[in-house]
Amino acid sequence: MNKGKPDETATEQPKETVATQKEAAPKTNGASEQTIHLVVFKLGTEEYAIKIEQVKEVTVTPSITQMPRTPSFIKGVANIRGDIIAIMDLEERFRLRPAVNDGDVLGNTYTLVIEAKDYSIGVVVKEVPQSLNLPVSKIDKAPSFLQDINIHENYIEGIAKIGERLIIVLDMFKILTVDEIKQLTGQQK
Amino acid sequence: MKSREQEYKEIFIAEALEYYDALNRHISELERRPEDDKVLAEIFRLLHNLKANAKAIGYLQISDVAHKLETAFSLIRNKELSFSDEVVLVLFDGIDLLGELIGNIDNPEYGEPDHVLIRNLDIIVDNLSNSTIELAKVQRYNSSKNLSLSELIYIQIKKLDHLLNLVGELMIDRDRILSISRDLDHDELKSVSSHLYRITEDLQYSVMDARLVTVGSLFNKFPRIVRDIATAEHKEVYLELTGQDIQIDRNILQIITDSLLHLVRNAITHGLELPEERKKKGKPREGNLTLSAKNDRDNVIIKLEDDGKGIDLKQVKKAAIEKNFIPADAAAHLPDEEVLSILFEPGFSMAKEVTEFSGRGVGLDVVKNAIDSVGGRISVNSSKGKGTTFTMQLPTSIAVKGALLFEVNEIYYAIPLIHTESVVSIDISELHEVGDVLLADVKGENITVVYLHELLNAPEHNMRLGDKSRLSGQVQNIIIVSYNNRKLGLIVDKLYRQQDIVVKPLSKPLDTIDLYGGVTLLGTGKVCLVLDVPAITRYFITKR
Repeated sequence: MNKGKPDETATEQPKETVATQKEAAPKTNGASEQTIHLVVFKLGTEEYAIKIEQVKEVTVTPSITQMPRTPSFIKGVANIRGDIIAIMDLEERFRLRPAVNDGDVLGNTYTLVIEAKDYSIGVVVKEVPQSLNLPVSKIDKAPSFLQDINIHENYIEGIAKIGERLIIVLDMFKILTVDEIKQLTGQQK
Repeated sequence: MKSREQEYKEIFIAEALEYYDALNRHISELERRPEDDKVLAEIFRLLHNLKANAKAIGYLQISDVAHKLETAFSLIRNKELSFSDEVVLVLFDGIDLLGELIGNIDNPEYGEPDHVLIRNLDIIVDNLSNSTIELAKVQRYNSSKNLSLSELIYIQIKKLDHLLNLVGELMIDRDRILSISRDLDHDELKSVSSHLYRITEDLQYSVMDARLVTVGSLFNKFPRIVRDIATAEHKEVYLELTGQDIQIDRNILQIITDSLLHLVRNAITHGLELPEERKKKGKPREGNLTLSAKNDRDNVIIKLEDDGKGIDLKQVKKAAIEKNFIPADAAAHLPDEEVLSILFEPGFSMAKEVTEFSGRGVGLDVVKNAIDSVGGRISVNSSKGKGTTFTMQLPTSIAVKGALLFEVNEIYYAIPLIHTESVVSIDISELHEVGDVLLADVKGENITVVYLHELLNAPEHNMRLGDKSRLSGQVQNIIIVSYNNRKLGLIVDKLYRQQDIVVKPLSKPLDTIDLYGGVTLLGTGKVCLVLDVPAITRYFITKR
């Protein structure tokens, strides 16, 4: 399962929005409105998204080897095509309450393989991730209300609103900053 | 495989031909710009190196001609000989002769070099510029006749690292294919995969071989270093080197370079006594320092011995108590090995004064970390008044390690053999709860034992390392590991085989977790965690 595989169902409505935006925008910035391609998934009860460029692939979660004495949000390591990468549980990481109804009937989970500059990391999600095209202007960058939420706003690139849906766009490259890594070793002591 | 001498010879020839090419380039340049001191200096350097190398390996004709040319150029540099047409001609001929000699090292038919040419060289060297003696005509060598490229190429170690990584990956896949072909029981697949096995094995050894350098390439730097430190410390030191021919992976040698330097400094500044002091003790004035290397199965043992004053265990204990490394009451009956192992603790130093060469707060723990990082071991032996010996046991190669495979809580683990002492099975009744730990009598030695499952998986606030009831089953499999002169028995759930594994370093962000030295993939495709013995020992000590 590679990029593009996630369902494309959600993309149609946003495309119309792109068209209307295009007509309105040129006078102000002179360029056509950019769209952004996201992979949307569920964590806890909310919808989250990552820019598709940051996702290397989506796969059914392979067998994970636990690593004792690592923080609880590290589920372990898995062999993905010969690469052994860390698998992270973002619900644990953000201390989110798992949804009562746990998605997939078969109990399958999916892993997004995120490609950072010099390493890859897997993120486990419970439902099939979906792909979504959005005009950039639909994303509210750094909204102030985020300061009240217990997620460190650093990871959050913005909030996308489409009708009733609210999608939290994450910057995966910032999920594990230097401080985080220090914390990771600190917990192990 | 070629003999070592053959290899040295080939390296010499390749280097010599390079020098020859460079000489030709520079002398042509000098002809155009006779005043250029830089070019002259470069020619000088090349000739000098060539002379020294040829002499070292025993090609006296080459070193002779190089010496004559070097003399001629030194005369030119001192303006005692002018770089005139006649002289230029002879020098060109001389350099061509060098090329000819180098090219004919392997040719038993080649007789003596051209006498006329040698005489011409002698004339310009001996008779200075006022000479009117005829320079005899020699048949000019045609240097454009046989162009050849060097047999030797330089390669960045980075490229070899990459190659080695790829081989590692290939081996993992190979093992996987081999195991699948066995499961499928397909004859053709089986024969292909066993062929694949042999080829990858060959490839692996070829790449490992390409990375080997002699220990001598590091050892030979020490005579000068030792001399300098000894002079600064007003000591007399005789350095003996042995085993320079032993080969080891270049990166491993690189990583231990600083450590070895540190140990040598320590040995001279703190180990060896001043000449008068030695005389009083009935020792020769000159201190002895021996740096030796030898092979031991898959490892290389590097030893540094001195016949100095040795390590005073009482002083170590005193310092350890003062600095709160050990409680005073425990110090009294601490075995000697344990006392010596304190020397490697971070932050422990006995140095009272800082000298130019030692005692700048860089302790032996830094040395230990370096050795640990290549998967080696270091130990120290000392007897008061007689001297100290540091022994480093290093893997020959980084890529493949012999390891012991086992299972704890349904997870596969491996421990590199370099850290394992022995494996024993003992009945649970032979384990004793002593204080907070378990103790077992293994062949007359009391060894601290820990249940790995408890150490790794019990919640940290509820860890009970001295509680036998946490164990399951009657017979316990124990792997005895050793780190820093301390032995520790690890109780595992299931013991598997001994196997060569390719350790893959953990990728970010897990690379900072030091409990694991890396991971490896088993033939079944399962991930196996490689335990880092130093880290697990430290972790055990903090949890005890």
